[in-house]
Amino acid sequence: MRKALIQGLIIIILFFSTWYIINRVDWMKVFRVEQATKNTEEKLGELFWDFFNRSETEIEDQYVKEVIDSLVAKLCSENKIDFNYIKLHILDKDEINAFALPDGHLVIYNGLILATENQEELCGVISHELAHIMLNHIMKRLVKETGLSVLISMTTGNSGTEIIQETAKMLSSSAFDRNIEKEADIKAVDYLIQAEINPAFFANFLYRLSYHDINTNKYLTWISSHPESRERGEYVIEYCTDKNAGNKPVLNQNTWETLCEKLRN
Amino acid sequence: MIKTGKFVYEPGEHEAEKASNSYLMSLIAVIAGLPFPIVNLIATVIFFIANKKGTYFVRWHCIQALLSQFSLFFMNSFAFWWTIYILFGEKTITNNFMAYLITVFFFNLLEFIATIYTAINTRKGMHIEWWFYGNLTNIFCKA
Repeated sequence: MRKALIQGLIIIILFFSTWYIINRVDWMKVFRVEQATKNTEEKLGELFWDFFNRSETEIEDQYVKEVIDSLVAKLCSENKIDFNYIKLHILDKDEINAFALPDGHLVIYNGLILATENQEELCGVISHELAHIMLNHIMKRLVKETGLSVLISMTTGNSGTEIIQETAKMLSSSAFDRNIEKEADIKAVDYLIQAEINPAFFANFLYRLSYHDINTNKYLTWISSHPESRERGEYVIEYCTDKNAGNKPVLNQNTWETLCEKLRN
Repeated sequence: MIKTGKFVYEPGEHEAEKASNSYLMSLIAVIAGLPFPIVNLIATVIFFIANKKGTYFVRWHCIQALLSQFSLFFMNSFAFWWTIYILFGEKTITNNFMAYLITVFFFNLLEFIATIYTAINTRKGMHIEWWFYGNLTNIFCKA
């Protein structure tokens, strides 16, 4: 019995040490898993963006695009984010909404830009979405909610358009779970501080929108899909109190006002 | 790892055939059971139950085949459910997962080769005792 037990133990040790040794090799590189994941993400990004591009109108005004681009560029450069990876799209829609899609697609609705009172508030929302992109929240959520097999079938064209539509809608109009949202908010605050933008403006935006009655205002998608905005505003303030955040506006007041004027028209 | 020797008595032609079949049973089940690890185990359990009242030589080899399937069952089940969670759940492909799959494949291959070797030699009436499983079978299987 003792001999069998020792031999059994040796087999278990042998199994785990084989696993440990094999684990030393970077199989992700050998099997090009990361490249395959990247390709899947690119295809999904294209697929979902195509859906919004077909159903909504993208604002093509060069001035509007350049101004928002400059805000994104500032946040990216100060936080070592590859600006070329971020694909900014501004959609002409009254909804107060912004969301991220796979492969760095960042979608902002006209309604959200106009709902912000200043560029710092808008930077707060952009930072939050950038955090979702950089923390890979979108792909993790897609895998969690639709499953890898469905995602792969989408990219290979074996999935119906209804599934693509439903998934795209889910990405644009429902929040991540509470912990993920908090993680994105905290990261957003770090991005803002690094870019010398005071996060208090972002907290203020959250507070302000939390007072709106989301049941009577169908345009408040970003807030209705991000519950507990008041609580979020509170922890944003709490997190940045001892961070000594300065504030250097990216745009001059005139540029910001012209942007709002153009969007209103 | 494998010890070839003489059994306590000389098994007859019919016994050697049945004992060899217990290994073949798990081999056939491996082919059908690759995606479902439990199939292997069920196949060997059924064969063992069918030969529970068989001769000592037949019972001994049925038990050795069954016990060897047990450890593979745990290894393969873990790999199976891990893969399912990646495909349909929230887990992602990691280096750890890939290394586990390769390790399990390696152990399955070893067991596969040992099973073929044992099936061939048991058919010839030879007694094959596997390292660990042979000792364990000696504890469970009494004459």
